[in-house]
Amino acid sequence: MIGERFITSIGAGAVRVTQEVGGIFVLTGQVLRALVPPRIDGRELVKNLYKMGNKSVPIVVLTAFFAGALMMLQAGPFVKKFGATALAGWGAGYAVLREIGPILIALMFSGRVGANNTAELSTMTVTEQLDGLRALAIDPIRFLVVPRVIAMMVMLLALTVIGDLVALLGASIIGKLMLGIDWSTLYHSFRDNLKPYDFLHGIYKSVAFGAAIAVSSCYFGVTVRGGAVGVGRAVNAAVVAAAVSIMLIDFFLTYLTG
Amino acid sequence: MTGFITSLGSAAISAYRAAIELWLVYVGTISGIVRGLQRKGARNRGEVWRQLYSIGNRSLLFIVVTLGFIGMVMTYQACLQLGRVTGDYSQVGSQFLRLIVSDFGPTLTGLMLATRVGAGIAAEIGSMKVTEQIDALRMSGVLPIDYLIVPRFVASIVMTLMLSILGGVVMWRAGGLTAEYSFNVNPNTFYDLSFVRFRHVAMFVVKALAYGAAIPVVAGFCGLRARGSSEGVGWATTAAVIGSSFAVIVLDFIISASALFLTGGDL
Repeated sequence: MIGERFITSIGAGAVRVTQEVGGIFVLTGQVLRALVPPRIDGRELVKNLYKMGNKSVPIVVLTAFFAGALMMLQAGPFVKKFGATALAGWGAGYAVLREIGPILIALMFSGRVGANNTAELSTMTVTEQLDGLRALAIDPIRFLVVPRVIAMMVMLLALTVIGDLVALLGASIIGKLMLGIDWSTLYHSFRDNLKPYDFLHGIYKSVAFGAAIAVSSCYFGVTVRGGAVGVGRAVNAAVVAAAVSIMLIDFFLTYLTG
Repeated sequence: MTGFITSLGSAAISAYRAAIELWLVYVGTISGIVRGLQRKGARNRGEVWRQLYSIGNRSLLFIVVTLGFIGMVMTYQACLQLGRVTGDYSQVGSQFLRLIVSDFGPTLTGLMLATRVGAGIAAEIGSMKVTEQIDALRMSGVLPIDYLIVPRFVASIVMTLMLSILGGVVMWRAGGLTAEYSFNVNPNTFYDLSFVRFRHVAMFVVKALAYGAAIPVVAGFCGLRARGSSEGVGWATTAAVIGSSFAVIVLDFIISASALFLTGGDL
């Protein structure tokens, strides 16, 4: 029966998704519990902050520049048609600060840092280094996962702040070079129409994105099974889970806080 | 100082080598398609169907969920802002549709597929590379690019276009529902097709085809460069996600900017 097989596969898929969501929440609980007396390995934290933050600056700057440029390319012709160039900065800036900037930066961060983190942790798992840590009475969650979660949340926030600035710069450069809007018009347009809350809205969403990327990438890293094939599959699952959770969190935070 | 210049130079050289290798993979894929057409492609037909299924059908739920939510968020933000400034929601739907057709539909679908499909291709080809299955293919006289990348290339071009259409429609309807239930916008004024012109549809198709072609080539290239064992596969998958996402963003910029020039600013 083809219908029976179809229903079975839907059920199996649902069970697998539920298991993984549950696993991610259990890991989140373990991370929170490990934070209660906050004993964090300082050296591991600094190493991860540097590796995840400083090393991601070039890719984030490039992405943010293009994000700003693209929004200006979309908003510019429209406002020019109505002769309202003073609103160009409003359209592009609002879209960049609230949605496009944080989302694109988070997706690139998930690709660069999240995927890399899953690859690293899952390699450690398949080569039994996690069991080695346990044998030495070191809790892998406390030693490996907690510093990574903190580093990703802090660094995605910092990178989004940098990225927002670069994106507004990219929007201005494209507005000047390709649409012929004056620098001063753009500056006043940004200054008069964008409120501090537009910026903050993107920033606190980025902290939540950072937490989601961190927990899902660590979860798929520590639960990997079976050699090189398993590592590839874990990285794939981690980036997919991160992308879905970024969109879901974005939706709920936007609805709840406006 | 010397160390800095040396590291800059070595980075430049390795980037140059990688660019040449990427170009060779691309040329190899195109010539593989030509060869396949000359042979009437009987050998790879089953593989193309399998890839169509794994790239397209298995991404359906992912695309529907992500683009549906982002469509709701975008409409919500736009209505929120318009409500503060003018309170006139009559343009939201038609402008949103224009943006979906000319940019967001294919680009966001492309970004999502770059994560899912790009990572999948690199993980698969990368693990074949480190377990020496690629060398085994070469030894039995099969070109790895013909056998592995060409079917994925064809499938990805077809399925990116299909999924972009689906994603755009889902985004549009999700936005319409949000506008209707959260801001009481009349559905008849929201679902307004009058702002979409032929040039927007042309941009939609060109963008979807370009992303569909770029993702498997970049991801396959990263997979074929995998070295070592499980660590190498991890690195290859990471590189594929960044490379193909970045390719989508850059292609979006290039196509949008050239469309602006070709139409003389009238988009």
